[in-house]
Amino acid sequence: MKYKENKNRILSDLLKKYGARIYNDLDNGIFPKFLIPSRSTRNIIYDKKLRQYVLGNNASMRNSKNILQLRSFTQLVWLAFFANRLIKEQKSSTLRDIYYSSQAFSIDFEDQPESDNIIVDLESVLSRPREDLHIFPEERSSVFGDLVIEYTVPGYEGKRTNLSDHPDGYLIGPSLSSAELIETSADLVIAIEKGGLFTRFIEEKVDKKFKSIIIDTAGQAPRSTRYLLRRLHDELKLPVVILTDGDVYGEHIAMVIKSGSANAAHLRELTVPDAKWLGVWASDIEKYKLPTIPMTESDIKRIHDLKKDPRYQHGIWKTELDVFLKIKRKAELEAFSKYGLTNITDKYLPQKLELAKSL
Amino acid sequence: MTFNESFNQISPSEFFYRNRDLAGFSNPTRSIYTSVRELVENSLDACDQNRILPNIYVTIQPTQQQKSDPKHYILTVDDNGPGIDHNHIPLAFGTVLYGSKFGLNQARGMFGLGATMAILYGQITTNKPVRVNSSIDGSNRHEYEILLDIQKNKPIIIKHSITSTKKKGLSISICLEGDYSKAGSKIRDYIYQTSLITPYASIKFHDPKGNKYNYERITKFIPSSPTIIKPHPYGIDVETLRRMISDTSYKISNVDNLMIARIKNELKMRGDVHNNYVVMKQTIKKRWPYLSSQTKTILSILLCLKLNFNQLVKIKIESIDIARNTLTYWNYEKSKSFVTQLNISSFYYKHLANEFKGDTLETFLTKQFQRVGRHTAEKFTEFAHFRPGKRIMLMTNQELVHLSDSLQKFSEFLSPDPSCLAPLGENLLEKGIAKFFNPDFVSVVQRKASAYSGFPFIVEMGVAYGGSIVNGIKLYRFANRIPLLYDESSDVVFKVINDIDWNRYKIKNESPLVIISHICSTRIPYKTVGKENVADRNEIERELKLALQFLSRKLSSYMSKKGKAAMEKKRVNLYFTYMPLIARFCTELSEKLKEPNYKKIFNELK
Repeated sequence: MKYKENKNRILSDLLKKYGARIYNDLDNGIFPKFLIPSRSTRNIIYDKKLRQYVLGNNASMRNSKNILQLRSFTQLVWLAFFANRLIKEQKSSTLRDIYYSSQAFSIDFEDQPESDNIIVDLESVLSRPREDLHIFPEERSSVFGDLVIEYTVPGYEGKRTNLSDHPDGYLIGPSLSSAELIETSADLVIAIEKGGLFTRFIEEKVDKKFKSIIIDTAGQAPRSTRYLLRRLHDELKLPVVILTDGDVYGEHIAMVIKSGSANAAHLRELTVPDAKWLGVWASDIEKYKLPTIPMTESDIKRIHDLKKDPRYQHGIWKTELDVFLKIKRKAELEAFSKYGLTNITDKYLPQKLELAKSL
Repeated sequence: MTFNESFNQISPSEFFYRNRDLAGFSNPTRSIYTSVRELVENSLDACDQNRILPNIYVTIQPTQQQKSDPKHYILTVDDNGPGIDHNHIPLAFGTVLYGSKFGLNQARGMFGLGATMAILYGQITTNKPVRVNSSIDGSNRHEYEILLDIQKNKPIIIKHSITSTKKKGLSISICLEGDYSKAGSKIRDYIYQTSLITPYASIKFHDPKGNKYNYERITKFIPSSPTIIKPHPYGIDVETLRRMISDTSYKISNVDNLMIARIKNELKMRGDVHNNYVVMKQTIKKRWPYLSSQTKTILSILLCLKLNFNQLVKIKIESIDIARNTLTYWNYEKSKSFVTQLNISSFYYKHLANEFKGDTLETFLTKQFQRVGRHTAEKFTEFAHFRPGKRIMLMTNQELVHLSDSLQKFSEFLSPDPSCLAPLGENLLEKGIAKFFNPDFVSVVQRKASAYSGFPFIVEMGVAYGGSIVNGIKLYRFANRIPLLYDESSDVVFKVINDIDWNRYKIKNESPLVIISHICSTRIPYKTVGKENVADRNEIERELKLALQFLSRKLSSYMSKKGKAAMEKKRVNLYFTYMPLIARFCTELSEKLKEPNYKKIFNELK
């Protein structure tokens, strides 16, 4: 059984199970209710084994008998109903679509944040990301490299594409996310924070020189991108390395790809625990004599915040954070251009990849 | 009461004529309103005092319909009160004098001057006489037309006739200059609000435009009438104190032949022996222990002045000054005052002096003030450093000032006696409000009597909510059963309402709310002579606030009950809205063909 079909079937069964429970309650004259794992900060804990944030055991009851919860209960049931249709009809929608679609069913969301919140509720109940429910954010991140995929979306079923065919790369959208990963010659996945560098890497044929698939995370990696990274690692057994700006935010972008975010603590399979952060490290700034910018107050505050995070208590995560705090300066990926446009691909990348083997 | 000639340089009529602005007769608009008010209040007071259910009929008719305002109107107020004895009518309506309402009890008007002022105003603007019809027996009706001689303060009777009638009561018609087009709304408000605070009265008003306003009696129950009481120590100043002392002083009765006959009888004298001074002196000495105290006093004067009875009837004792040992008397024959030095060693002078020292301070306090007993009086004299036996007539000016000050400062006097007050009562107030506003909710409260500066007062308040009441908070102010219509924003009640945090009671600015406040006191502390706004005395403000808070809590609990009922209804509606949706969605989710039988869930909701 193919990956996507399998996943859809499991999800459909799950939705059917929940639907049946509500149906039976109603039929027996009982007000239906279910538990929703609590997403309050108190219930978000770091699971060392899974190497990601997870939700604790606290859960809140959503009861249709409670007049204050009746509306959101109905919204939640509607969303399950609507996602079920999306899956069955193999259609996708955006967060904004959901907000508008609700109105056709006399379900009123006051605004999109309210509908977004109900989507996260459903994710929590099902422990499945919204992308599985065919609901996608409007985010732009791209992929390029020698990877053959086979579409599963209606009208393209069975059609194959090589992701190195188009020099701008391919948008990581619903159809790519749901495609089967067929084959690749790559040995490595390089995730890079910035679109400009992503284009440079394609021009400099990094995909061929380093036998790699290049992914532009466009800042903090969207879920669909993290999901693809996870699949590339799990299904194709490719190691994942990450290149970011040399600042505290860059370090955290790498960390989120590696071990998830607190916001998505209710979800699994969005992390690549083995992913490695190549740079730019704080220590690289000194080592490669990069031009720097002084840190702002908020940069420094962010460092202090992250120092409390259990994931930053050891290894390079801790040491680099300490160096940032010491030098109080930061450097962007483009800083390497001071030494020529290809300096980053010719010198820095190979050195860091070599170093990464020992990480 | 008579007037001391030396203080009567101008007649009271003239005084009021010159100062009519003070009494609310400043312009045609205000004057016609004040006239209505004064006459209606007189009628209501008369009925109240005689415990008659009032029927008041007010008409205002223009003398010339076409003329534009201000113009002449005939204002008539007709009542079913006790009427006035026809002998008193010329004096009562044809002179300006201190009226009968001078005791310390609650009445609408204070001195009974207002009606005369209205008559005076009518006369000076139209030069027409006032028409008074009165019947005290329900069969004879006396009709008078009277003008006022302003300078002499005397009535001029234009016409007097007697007709037969079947109705007791008084009817007064004044022709006066007024501006009804401007005053109309206030007059209508006044009649309306007066009916609200006097639910036992039937009041009809026919206005110049032919509109009829009839306010029927809502209840036949007349609230208990106030009693006239003695003053409270806190409400006394030096001048009042002086007057009280002189009122209690020993009165020398007029010596007439009847009195002399009685004295002779007590002395057991026959014939004209009494004309012999020596014989009489001996007789008096012999009979002294058996004489009455009044006889003793008169005989003491007789002996001190060395007079016989014939001479005694020709003089009038004016005063006796104990401090200076002098006696002043008026000789009728010589039409002149005489001052005589008295022999202080005389036994009879000593008796006289003793009589004229007046009561002891202790007795004076207990007899002349309300709620002062022997025990309190003793405590007070100790507090003020007076001997309890101190004679009040012997007090110097300085001592009187000290006494007056101490009366204010002594904290152990009991609070004033409220029996002189006539609040409407919770029951009547509630009936009036319910009838007038037809609200969804009404609550009234009568606070316990309290006092400010020695004047007792009672606060009554009512709130009405919803029903026929239009949106917005509306305030009706009353003082001694008089509606207060002007200057609302400077009134203490307004301040109290504004200070309250309505949000706490779930009341919004646009809530359909009516607040009725009624302050009863022997003296309402008005801010101005116009008697339209009550000053913010702390004690009154406090009572008003407590009353309002009490009612607001009641209202708030009503509102939350109402809110709960509305919420409950909304709640049930929500289930009816959402349950079918849930049923539909889960049917498709669970791939069932038929919707679940969810309707029985509604049975659980009750």
